[in-house]
Amino acid sequence: MGKGQRAAQAYKSTEFVEQVRDEDGLVVSAADPFKEAPLSSSSLLQDGDKRRSNTSAEAEARTPARAERKHELEAVPSLILVTTYLSFLMLIVFAHLRDFFGKLFYPHNYVQLRVQNGLAPMVSDFESLWTRRLYGRIRDCFNRPITGVAGGHVRLLERVSRDFNATFEFTGRVRGVLNLASYNYLGFAQSDGPCADAVEAAMQGSGVAQASVRAEAGRTRLLVETEELVARFVGAEAALLVSMGYATNALNIPALVGRGSLIISDELNHSSLVAGARLSGATIRVFRHNNTKDLEAVLRRSIAQGQARTHRPWRKILVVVEGLYSMEGEFCRLPEILALRRQYGFYLFVDEAHSVGALGPRGRGICDHFGVDPRDVDVLMGTFTKSFGAAGGYIAGSRALVDFLRLHSHSAVYAEAMAVPVLAQVSSSMRMIMGEDREHALEGQQRLDQLAINARYFSTRLAAMGFMTMGDEGSPVVPLLLFSPAKIPAFSRECLKRNIAVVVVSYPATPIITGRVRFCISASHTREDLDYALAQISEIGDLLLLKFHKSVTEEDGTKKEQ
Amino acid sequence: MASVAASIPIATPFALPSSSVPEDDGQRGLFRTAWDFSFRMVLRYIKNSYKDDPFRTFLEVCLIAFIIWYMTKQKYNIGNNEIQLSEKEIDELVDEWKPEPLVPELTEFERETLDKAVLLDGPNGIKVRLATGNGKPILNFASYNFLGFIDNPDFGAHAIETLRKYGVGSCGPPGFYGTLDVHMELEKQLAAFVGHSSAILYSQAFTTVLSVIPCFSKRGDIIVADEAVSFPIQQAISLARSKVYWYKHNDMADLERVLKDVNMQLADRRGKNALPRKFIVTEGLFQNTGNISPLKDLVELKHRYKFRIILDESLSFGVLGKRGAGLTDHFNVSPHEVDLLLGALSYAIGSSGGFCCADKDLVEHQRLSGLGYCFSASMPGILAVAASDAIQALEANPDNYLLSMRENTALLQTLLKRIPGLQVECSSESPLMHVRLTPETLVRMKRSGGAWTKTDIDRVLTELVEEAQKDGVLLTRAMYVDEHERLLPNSSIRICVSCAHTRKDIEKCAHAVKSAVNRVTSKKR
Repeated sequence: MGKGQRAAQAYKSTEFVEQVRDEDGLVVSAADPFKEAPLSSSSLLQDGDKRRSNTSAEAEARTPARAERKHELEAVPSLILVTTYLSFLMLIVFAHLRDFFGKLFYPHNYVQLRVQNGLAPMVSDFESLWTRRLYGRIRDCFNRPITGVAGGHVRLLERVSRDFNATFEFTGRVRGVLNLASYNYLGFAQSDGPCADAVEAAMQGSGVAQASVRAEAGRTRLLVETEELVARFVGAEAALLVSMGYATNALNIPALVGRGSLIISDELNHSSLVAGARLSGATIRVFRHNNTKDLEAVLRRSIAQGQARTHRPWRKILVVVEGLYSMEGEFCRLPEILALRRQYGFYLFVDEAHSVGALGPRGRGICDHFGVDPRDVDVLMGTFTKSFGAAGGYIAGSRALVDFLRLHSHSAVYAEAMAVPVLAQVSSSMRMIMGEDREHALEGQQRLDQLAINARYFSTRLAAMGFMTMGDEGSPVVPLLLFSPAKIPAFSRECLKRNIAVVVVSYPATPIITGRVRFCISASHTREDLDYALAQISEIGDLLLLKFHKSVTEEDGTKKEQ
Repeated sequence: MASVAASIPIATPFALPSSSVPEDDGQRGLFRTAWDFSFRMVLRYIKNSYKDDPFRTFLEVCLIAFIIWYMTKQKYNIGNNEIQLSEKEIDELVDEWKPEPLVPELTEFERETLDKAVLLDGPNGIKVRLATGNGKPILNFASYNFLGFIDNPDFGAHAIETLRKYGVGSCGPPGFYGTLDVHMELEKQLAAFVGHSSAILYSQAFTTVLSVIPCFSKRGDIIVADEAVSFPIQQAISLARSKVYWYKHNDMADLERVLKDVNMQLADRRGKNALPRKFIVTEGLFQNTGNISPLKDLVELKHRYKFRIILDESLSFGVLGKRGAGLTDHFNVSPHEVDLLLGALSYAIGSSGGFCCADKDLVEHQRLSGLGYCFSASMPGILAVAASDAIQALEANPDNYLLSMRENTALLQTLLKRIPGLQVECSSESPLMHVRLTPETLVRMKRSGGAWTKTDIDRVLTELVEEAQKDGVLLTRAMYVDEHERLLPNSSIRICVSCAHTRKDIEKCAHAVKSAVNRVTSKKR
């Protein structure tokens, strides 16, 4: 504990905190809820044990508040709901009309949708309607190519389309824009600095790739050491590294459960979890997003009824949740789920793809955030793509679990081992967060605090402007609801015009009604960056009539629900 | 019954308002009179229709009764055969339920495997240093480093240059600002090198297959696959949920039989359903057998029976063909004949990730529907550049790499086949070989009689690998997740030849294998 105290002391003396406080005082009025931010960040400066109890107390205090926020959608004016549905209806009607007349007058453009010399079309008519007619209209808002590092600012390759987004031409110009889109929470997407130096050194010593799998000849000292570091970081006995984030779920869940087992999954779980669950052959049931009551109901029913038809008891039950839901910015209700785990004895799989490194006073993810023991979670999964500026993912847990996976997980036996630069990036950035990098002992904690402050600042200011934001307080992902399909590309294009890169998402990534823009806040954003973005977003909000809460305060909207 | 049900909508509109009148009692008089009016209308209608056609009214009443019966019946049916339990009973069942442990305990042999796994120090090239060894480098015949790109010093400098421009991670999926210019360049380069229209990059070889096949082959579609395909393809097929037919490994006659069968079955039900998509799925160079698919025959069958080909060139890309462009290059078949051509950059190319070459439409479709593309971060720039450099080097001077690799392959195959008691499985062009002890040797080895279990064989092969290691040659047993493989291949040692091996290295390898076999087989068991 002495070490932590020392770090905290030194950290206190930096002018970084002072500056933030000054700015808070300037920016936010006394009645502003943003007052909370410096309070909780100052709790970081206390002794480790105290900090822990503080956060768990905080978490408990915060739980009811989050429950209220959940139903914010209900407060949406019905006019907006109706117009959104109507807009979608309109789009779909037009899509069908265009297809109908297109097929009539320009049949050669639709050849690929018909049976051709005995071959069924590769993509069926209906399947591709969305892609061709709806996504096609807004294709310019996605897959925007960049060059260089996706840091706090990113260099965008400018492109134009002269044929309504069918093809793009590059103008050759490069635009520097503010990046509110990349998952660079702690700002480790860098091409210089201590991490890049470590990566360079590692590549000089060990080359680039591995050309083998972990179970055969891909087990190197660097890999094993990084695995041990990751295990220590997340607070587990052991960890297994996987060279791709999607594969971490898709190729490991089948090793854990199979026929005769049950997977109970949150309805908003990531596609990779769904793929893993399907590949496992286990029965899959879904509970309503973040609704522990529904989870309990599903559990009771499933355990009581046993397997379908035979009523045999389930071999295992694996509850799969995400730590931080990346499209919603919501935390899973880990303490409540752990209480259920004690009661019902299921195994818990927590996907920390977005939360590890980004949440908790020490950056250890959702367990750290709620102050619970990570060993209570059976399988901790996470990725290095986000906070660590690397790639791939890990599975951590008990030694028995990880030893089993080393021989039975599809990723360890069939997929390439993690590349050298990625391993070096993971270990160097992780050491920095843990304060184990002697020369940069404080930087990691500074980044964590900066992220926490930035995230709170940004979401609070957005909400204060009257926007309808989603998500839990302190989440580095801040979704802002746009609803109407027309506003989705409009927001993205307006932002780009003002040199801000944002991510807009709509159906099928979200429920059809709640199209949204998602801001990812990073520790590498300065206060000026955020203020610039907020000012521009406010302007766009006025332009697109997005400030739904302008007349109704947030409290009113949520009280109705209770 | 179906025709009766179809007439329900005609009958119900007149019957329903009558029942809903009392509930919908409006406070305002106007509404009330309106409802009364309509109620009277309905009554009058029923009376009139009864007068005109009593049989019809009877039919309508029957229909309504049927609907009520049908709906209530369905209500009980929800949840299939669920048993009604009281809360107390549920609590008891919950208390009683004990799950199996999350993972089973490792067997003794698995524990040994884990403890004895090789640990390398430094690069995974032609010569590797074992962390546990005496510090002397040993020859690597275990890694898929066919073209020696892993330890090519020229690429290192470029990789560092890339690091200084792009960092490591891309911090986002390709759709959300994760597409780098180097990704797009590599895609173009790949398409041009293979000779297909367009290409798309995935960040892991396994996931490439896992994404592409389910992206196009859906429920109701048909997949005809070689039964020796590698595990990623098996998983992809299971994820696709299509109807699967298997044909005997590389047996074109059997494939033709299956294709005929499938078409016959389709002809029977033609007209009822839309025509499904039909795919032949196979591998270029089989990871599990070292054999090569007869692409010319496949293409002919594809045209004759109206199928499409999904070809996994993971191992053949960079290895087969005059230019090293894979199976299509090897057989001089136009790559356009292969509808979806998958490849890996993690084997011969010495980087990481995979790609899919196809027509432009199909590639664009994957950018939204290929799950591994859409839902995972893009490949780090360094790895894309490493792959690009390797392909460029191969394209500029293919003979430099391929000729010596083939010489080495031929040499090692001849030397290995001379070793008594050993059986080598692979086609003559394949630098990937599966080596096993012949069944006769195994029988001879077992003094006590009795059958060989798989674990016994694995143990012998592990000993063989260890013996070879003592002679300075790193080999590996081919690892599988036994319980998930559809048809578990026979245990073997997988040997990968590289162009960077010298003639002496190859001889040393063959010698090490020979003496290891001698030592292992002479031991009493």
